[in-house]
Amino acid sequence: MIISGTSISKSYSSNRVLDSVSISCSAGEICGVLGSNGAGKTTLFKILCGLITPENGNVEINSNRIKPIGAIIEKPALYDYLNAIENLKVFAGIQGANTDPDALKEILVRVGLPTDRNDPVKNYSMGMKQRLGIAIALLNNPECLVLDEPFSGLDPLGIASLRKLIINLAKKDKLAILLSSHIIDELSKVSKTLYVISNGKILRKGATQDIISSNTDKYTFCASNIKESKVLNNYDVSFKGNCASVKIEQSDVPNLIQNLYKESILITSCSPEVNMERLFKNPGE
Amino acid sequence: MKALLLAEFFKLFRQSRTYFALAAIFIIEAIVFVSAYYQGSNIIDILLENLKQSFYFEGELLNANLLIYLVLNTLWFHLPLILMIVVSGILTSEYKDGTIQTVMLQPVSKRKFILSKYIVAIVFTLVVVLLLALTSYIFSYAIFGNGDLIVYLDTLNFFTADEAIYRLSWAFALGAISMVFFSVVSLTIAVIFKEAAKTWIIAAFFLIISNLLLKVDFGNNWFNRLFFAKLNDTWQYLFVNEINWTYIFNSSMLLIVYSIAFIGIGVFIFNRRDVG
Repeated sequence: MIISGTSISKSYSSNRVLDSVSISCSAGEICGVLGSNGAGKTTLFKILCGLITPENGNVEINSNRIKPIGAIIEKPALYDYLNAIENLKVFAGIQGANTDPDALKEILVRVGLPTDRNDPVKNYSMGMKQRLGIAIALLNNPECLVLDEPFSGLDPLGIASLRKLIINLAKKDKLAILLSSHIIDELSKVSKTLYVISNGKILRKGATQDIISSNTDKYTFCASNIKESKVLNNYDVSFKGNCASVKIEQSDVPNLIQNLYKESILITSCSPEVNMERLFKNPGE
Repeated sequence: MKALLLAEFFKLFRQSRTYFALAAIFIIEAIVFVSAYYQGSNIIDILLENLKQSFYFEGELLNANLLIYLVLNTLWFHLPLILMIVVSGILTSEYKDGTIQTVMLQPVSKRKFILSKYIVAIVFTLVVVLLLALTSYIFSYAIFGNGDLIVYLDTLNFFTADEAIYRLSWAFALGAISMVFFSVVSLTIAVIFKEAAKTWIIAAFFLIISNLLLKVDFGNNWFNRLFFAKLNDTWQYLFVNEINWTYIFNSSMLLIVYSIAFIGIGVFIFNRRDVG
């Protein structure tokens, strides 16, 4: 385990933001934290990164590196009036990392940023800022990367590209990566382990796919002639364009696809619709 | 610490705000020169018409030394105000842009980080005062020429040209201590309030109150001698006939102690507070 937080609690005035939250992440693992806005994700990450002090609980980091954790909290905060290399130079310099221009360019390449841009980063897109933020977080080779809402504000192409980068960092560099989002679809594509947080409490934790499937009672099937299906009449179904939202158990999905195929309905996509009410319902209630 | 200082200087001189502030300071200086060039002679002639009949003044009274003295008077309000805005900005801009969080996510000591900001603030202030002094000497001597200095402090005080240069140079040096005090205070205010607008208002309020309290006579007691607001006019004591060096030394030392105390408060608060 590279990073673990145990029984972390935090309040602002009378508002309990985190209530005995425990979380951990191992080397090479991507752990997602799913929660709505105000659920306590950012506060949890700030505590894990040492920016704020918890009232109770403790954070354990098993790393001997100069910088055990690299992070972007809330948004990639950069010196907008400096260019990418200058930003890297400032942040590398203050922590005693290598400020050699070639070494800094290598980091830019690692996160997929161009090395020939000399204009201030205020001109950069959100996706490029996220990448530069990750480049800064990766200075001094941390063993853990904490990314708070890394996909927010990105276009689909930027999301796909950043997702690839995150997966590569975990796979190739064996980084423990903790990332948060309020959109389950994003987390389901990258994280192996998922924590569901609501009102400062961890409601569920486990393998991402297990959590998704156990909280999915509908699937969306798309095909150009899906409305012609007779098989679907046996289900609770609603149509939207060329897609049908079908209430069905996960185990029945392969059968339905086969039956639709027999009706010459060729499914082009099948995606689970997570029941958010069920997912965010406290199991104890 | 050296790396932090270099980074702070790099950031300070890469921000356009710094150059706007420097431009503002030197525009004020230029306005003093231009207005003195076009109107100064007439005003001085009217003021000193009677005295000129009884005394002999060497050279023009509207001379370089008088101009330098006039520039020196920007130390009351204009210069500290601009310095307070720039200096507090080196921290408030980090809070506004969130870069302070990015810095604190790196393996950097909070104490060293804020100390480096105080050191940069002090060096920047000293450089600005030095530049102000140099430009005022160069331009005023080039345009107005040398001459005796006449200063009104309760009474008219006259100094020969050589004596004037000596006193003016010391006044800039002592004024620099006062400017450093205001810069340090503004950075401490920034540590407390974080937000730029609040910090600027409180800093300007502090400066105005300090100037007002300076004029209030609290009587011949310890408070009148030790209160920080009473120590910011030390450089003015160089323009009385007999310089009281003991008083000037003690006041300057006390102001340095106050500055260190404000730094201590700022470092303590910053170190204890969560960032984020």
